[in-house]
Amino acid sequence: MLTLTSPFETPLHRVAAGRKLLGLAVLSIGLFALQDPWTFFLVGGLVATVYLACGLGFARFGAAMLRPLWPFLVILGLWHGWTGAWAVGLMIGGKMLVAVALANLVTMTTRLEDMIDVVERAASPLARFGLQPKMLAVAIALVIRFTPVLMDKAGQLGQAWRARSARRVNWRIVLPISLMALDDAERVAEAIRARGGI
Amino acid sequence: MSTPLSQSIDGIALQGAGFDIVGKSILSNLTLTLSEQRIGIIGRNGSGKSSFLRLVAGLVAPSHGTVLVDGLKPATDRKAMLSRIGILFQNPDHQIIFPTVTEELAFGLRQKGMDKAEAAQAVVALLAQHGRSHWAAQAVTALSQGQRHFLCLLAVLAMEPGTILLDEPFAGLDLPTQNRLTRALAALPQRLILITHDPKAIAGYDRVIWLEDGRVRADGAAGPIIADFTAEMARLGEADADTDLTF
Amino acid sequence: MTPSVWPRLYGREVGYNEGGTQLMEKNVTYIALFAALIAVLGLVPQISLASGVPITAQSLGVMLCGTVLGAKRGFLAALLFVGLVALGLPLLSGGRGGLGVFASPTVGFVIGFPIAAFVAGFIVEKTRAAIGVAAFGGALIGGVLVLYLFGITGMALILGKSWVAASLLVTAYIPGDLIKAGMAGFITQGLAKLRPDAVLSRP
Repeated sequence: MLTLTSPFETPLHRVAAGRKLLGLAVLSIGLFALQDPWTFFLVGGLVATVYLACGLGFARFGAAMLRPLWPFLVILGLWHGWTGAWAVGLMIGGKMLVAVALANLVTMTTRLEDMIDVVERAASPLARFGLQPKMLAVAIALVIRFTPVLMDKAGQLGQAWRARSARRVNWRIVLPISLMALDDAERVAEAIRARGGI
Repeated sequence: MSTPLSQSIDGIALQGAGFDIVGKSILSNLTLTLSEQRIGIIGRNGSGKSSFLRLVAGLVAPSHGTVLVDGLKPATDRKAMLSRIGILFQNPDHQIIFPTVTEELAFGLRQKGMDKAEAAQAVVALLAQHGRSHWAAQAVTALSQGQRHFLCLLAVLAMEPGTILLDEPFAGLDLPTQNRLTRALAALPQRLILITHDPKAIAGYDRVIWLEDGRVRADGAAGPIIADFTAEMARLGEADADTDLTF
Repeated sequence: MTPSVWPRLYGREVGYNEGGTQLMEKNVTYIALFAALIAVLGLVPQISLASGVPITAQSLGVMLCGTVLGAKRGFLAALLFVGLVALGLPLLSGGRGGLGVFASPTVGFVIGFPIAAFVAGFIVEKTRAAIGVAAFGGALIGGVLVLYLFGITGMALILGKSWVAASLLVTAYIPGDLIKAGMAGFITQGLAKLRPDAVLSRP
């Protein structure tokens, strides 16, 4: 399944996942506490530079990932434009953009397997409470494996619907899709048990 | 008359085995010893074939009687069954657990106790053995239906079981894929117990068991039983559809 | 030892659910498949919920996790989903994902998913009303009330607005989500009829 890891290789790809996550946490807290607009512009500029330094394709991908934020920027703009508090509005909007961009930087430069390794290591103390690492690994794999399978089936159900109805597909299709999820869960549990269980 | 079951060490033995669901009898009073190399199971839908397979595989426990594989109970001794019984279901999408080929094949090996590195090596060797080394990093979604069938078979073979149970493996496959699968199965050294609707698939088998309503209707050499079965199915097909509601 | 909620013998689906599959494998697969369901309901574009209006069905998936799987498993299913979004999978409606989501204004909704599922499931488990009604109630309180609580709080924090101001931003979505709760009720009821043993909130 496609992940959000960028296919364009960057130097950041080679940094350990755990270290990147730690760095992100520290930087995010620092960003949140930042009050001075000039320091903020500096930080923002640095982040943008890092993106561009990783390649134009990479930077374009990064910009695309920021696109869902534009309605909120508009809202902030309207709100603060109306009250006249431009500076505050810019800071809030800017911080939001930079925070998201920083977080996305980690996502785009870290492979899924490495992320999963970090999670498994972090979750190992939970083994005492019954969460075996194998269960977590299988659970993650199952979601990745079955999301496309369920989507295909949902598509087929949609076609079966449209073959017999002039009306558009509506919410009632969620029932058979959920049914498929239940049935698949039943069968996969059996398949896992047939191969030794978890 | 009956030797103590634990003495028939090798092979699969059922003694008076039955399986019920909510009081309804799915299989009843099966006493069989399965030791032949190639065994076919035929019968109409609802005759209990799939339940029979699950009983032998230990995925369900018998409601009556005993089922023993190499002297062990398959339903309770799950770990021991990993190297004795492999099972292949009808639909590959119901049994492929992982999103990539390597992960899927490594899973069973890890279950048998190999660590990550050993399992990875074994997977490479297995794929090479079957001329599919380039499948290693493939996503399962990129495989065709026939290829996914083969992946399921590979996953079972990776466990090196003594017996492989197959639940209608040819269903829905196009003819070339059916032929390929038939050849692949014929070459396997393991004991095969095959459920199928296609009499041709089991024509050369050592033994064929015809299940009807959860009981053994016929059991013996392939030729005559298949002939009887085909005739009976034709006869039933001539009559109009059964409209009796049995539930 | 908690009593098993996986009955060994199954009901009307004769020959389908052959009893005996172990607890642990089923827990994992049900949780994983429903996490996948949340993803599918967010990614499949053609679902239009109200007459012609295309609304994302993703939160419907979250509601169903609770109403069908119960509080604990529903919570874990939604948590698994959120975890995978954090790991970088584009599973949120619109193909969003990654750590950036957790710094954006919708973070409250995402973090609220597991808790919404838990509350919805809790209500279905503890109420004695018919499954459809209980599921509607659970979906309403868990999937709308609690979820919006988290969502609005998150929005208020990120956008630097008051809670009330942030709530104004989302009022437009509330009617649609109220209808979704109704749908959750119907669907859960339907599933309870078709697969009574799989609906774990009412074993």
